[in-house]
Amino acid sequence: MMIGTAMESNALSLTKVSKSYGSVRALANLSFTVAEGRFFVLFGPSSVGKTTALRTIAGLVAPDHGRVEIFGKDFTHEPIAGRDVSMVFQSFALYPHLSVYANLAYPLVEAGLAREEIDRRVKETAAMLRLDKKIDRKPGTLSGGEQQRVALGRSLIRRPRILLLDEPLTNLDAKLRHDMRAELKRLHRQFGLTIVYATPDELEALSMGEEIAVLRDGAVVQIGTPDELYETPCDLYVAAKIGSPHMNMIKGSLADDGASMESPIGALPLVRRFQAATPGEAAIVGIRPNDIRFAVGDETGLAANIAMLEPLGDVTVVSVETRGETIRMVLPESTASSLQPGQPASIILDPRKFHVFRASSGQVMA
Amino acid sequence: MAYGISIWERLGIRKSSGVSEAGWGHTAFVALISFIYFLPVLFIIFTAIKPQGLALSVPPTLSPTSLLGLIPEQFVFTPTLENFGSVFSRVMTAGSQPEATGFDRFFLNSIVIATASVVLALIFGTLAAYGFSRYPLKGNDTYLFIILTTRMLPAIVVVIPVILMFRTVGLSGSYLGIILLYTAFNLAFTIWMMKSFFDELSTDVEDAARIDGSSEVKVFFKICLPQVVAGLAATFVFGLILTWNEFLFALLLTGPDTRTVPVAMNQAVSSGGRGTDWTLLAAIETLFLIPVFLVTFFLQEHLLRGVTFGTVKK
Repeated sequence: MMIGTAMESNALSLTKVSKSYGSVRALANLSFTVAEGRFFVLFGPSSVGKTTALRTIAGLVAPDHGRVEIFGKDFTHEPIAGRDVSMVFQSFALYPHLSVYANLAYPLVEAGLAREEIDRRVKETAAMLRLDKKIDRKPGTLSGGEQQRVALGRSLIRRPRILLLDEPLTNLDAKLRHDMRAELKRLHRQFGLTIVYATPDELEALSMGEEIAVLRDGAVVQIGTPDELYETPCDLYVAAKIGSPHMNMIKGSLADDGASMESPIGALPLVRRFQAATPGEAAIVGIRPNDIRFAVGDETGLAANIAMLEPLGDVTVVSVETRGETIRMVLPESTASSLQPGQPASIILDPRKFHVFRASSGQVMA
Repeated sequence: MAYGISIWERLGIRKSSGVSEAGWGHTAFVALISFIYFLPVLFIIFTAIKPQGLALSVPPTLSPTSLLGLIPEQFVFTPTLENFGSVFSRVMTAGSQPEATGFDRFFLNSIVIATASVVLALIFGTLAAYGFSRYPLKGNDTYLFIILTTRMLPAIVVVIPVILMFRTVGLSGSYLGIILLYTAFNLAFTIWMMKSFFDELSTDVEDAARIDGSSEVKVFFKICLPQVVAGLAATFVFGLILTWNEFLFALLLTGPDTRTVPVAMNQAVSSGGRGTDWTLLAAIETLFLIPVFLVTFFLQEHLLRGVTFGTVKK
C-alpha cells in the first residue's frame, strides 16, 4: 500500500479507513488501491461494509479515521463535488418526479452545461442504452431493467473518472442480470472507466472483476484476481466464499510426521511439510469438487456411496458419503447420467490440490 | 396512472383502473351509508332554496322535485334563489329599503385569512418538517411532542391570555393578528403531516442528487419537495377546512372589517329579534361550503396520488 506517494496509475486508494455508526463498526481499517481503468470488485455478504465503503469514496460518508485518495489527491474530508465520482445505487434512486430525459439531464444541468450540449448528450446516452423510445416516461412506468439502464446512464452521462456500482443487479431477475453483466463489461471496455463494484454475488464477482477484494467485518481479507482467489485462498472464509459448488472442508489433525493428516475419512497424504505447524495441530483440508474424481482401473480410492445427484445441465454435482462425511464432486453429465443414489463408488482426492488451513485461526498453513 | 384522469373517473362514474370492483350489493350498501352521511348537507342545500315560509312547515317539504311522481305532492316545494340574494342585501328594518349586509366582505375576509395562514403554515411547517426528518436533533421526538402539545389544549382555555396579549401589542381586530394566530395553530399539524411524508422518501434519491452535483438547497427544492406534492395538497386541504370553520378566535379577535363568515353568520341569524331565519342561514352555509368543496375537488388528484409509486425498491 502506497501512502502519500500514490503512483500516477492509482485511481483510488483507501488507507486504514474506519467508520462507526454508534456501536456498529461498518469499516475497520479498510485499505485497498484501485489502478486506473480497473474493474474492481468489493465482494462479501450483506453488512460487511461494502455500501459504506462506496459511500465513503463518493463523499456521502465522512470516515472517522483514515485517508481517501482519488487520483493521488487527498479527498478524505473534501466535499462531494470535485471528486469526479458517480454512483449507481442498489435501489436505482431515480428521481421519481422527473422523466427519463430529465433524469439523464440532471447531472449536466447541475454542472451548468449549455442546453444544446445537454440535449445532444442525453440523446446520445439514451440511444446507447436503448432508452430513446422511453425518454418521456416517468421512472415508475419503466421495467426494472429499464430503470437500471436509466440509473447507469445518469451515472455515465457526465463522464466520471470513477464509477461506483452498489449491487446494481440485485434487483433484477436472473435473465436480465446475465444481460446486464455483459453490458457492464462492454461499457467498461468502451469507456476505460475505473469501476468499483460491490456485490454479494460470487458469480458476478468472478465473472466481472479484474481484481476482487473479499471483505469481512469492514476490512479486506484478501485481494487478488479471480484466479488467485480461487487457486490460493488465504483463509477459510475466502475459500468458502469463492467457488461453486463450495469447497469440501474436512476436519482433522496433522500427523506427527507432518506428512499426512488424520481425518474421519482416513489419513490424507500431504505433498509438502508445514514449517510453522506443530505436530498434532488441528487443521482443515479443503478440496474443490472439481479436484475429486472416480478411481479408474486398478487405482485404490476411498470407498464411498453416492448420496445425491444434482444435474445442472452439462455438469452434475454428485454428493458422496464416506465414513459419515459428505463430499461434493462435479462430474460431466455424460459420466454422471449412469449413476444412481446408493451405488458404491471409489473416489480419488488429488493431494496436490489440497488447501490446508489452521483450525484455530482459519489461516492457510505456510 | 393519475395523469389525465377525466372528471367522470374522479366522480367514480367511469372506471379508471384495472382493479376489480366490488359487486352491486357492496356498492349499494356503501352508497346507502354515504347518502346517510350526506343527508344533513343535502338538507341544508334544500333549505337554502326553499321559500322562506316553508323552512319550518309541518309536514316538512323534502324535495324540490317530485321525482316523476315518486314523492307525494305535499312534500315537494318550488325552488327559489331568493335566499342567496338576501345573504348580500336584504331589508333590515320593516318598511325600509334593502341594505347591503357586508357579506361579500366577510367572504373575502374568510378566503384571505384562511388561505394566507394555511400557506404560511405550509411554508414554515414544511421547512421545519424537513429539518426534523433529515437533520434530527438529540431528543428529536421530544421536540415533536412538545410541538403537538400546542394542539392538546381546548381553544377556550387559551383564548383569554391570547386576547390580552393581542390587545397589548395592538393585534386585535387586524388581519395580521388573526392570520398569525391561525398560522401558529396550523404549524403543529403541518409539521407532523409533512414530516411523515418526508420520512417516506428514499434518502438514496437525495444522495444521488448530491453526487450529481446538487447543493443541499437544491436537494430540497428540486428533489424532495416535488415528491411530496401529494402531502402538501393533503395538508393544505385539512388545514384549510380547520381554519375555514374556526369560530371562537374569529369571534373574539376579529373586528367589523376583518370578520369572517362563521362569525358573521352567527350574528346575521341572531340579530333583529325576529327569531332565526333558517332559509337565510342555510343559504349562507351553502355558499360557505363552496370554496372548500372546490379546493378539495380539484386537489383530489394529488390527494389520491403517491408520486413515488414503483420507483424505489425497498
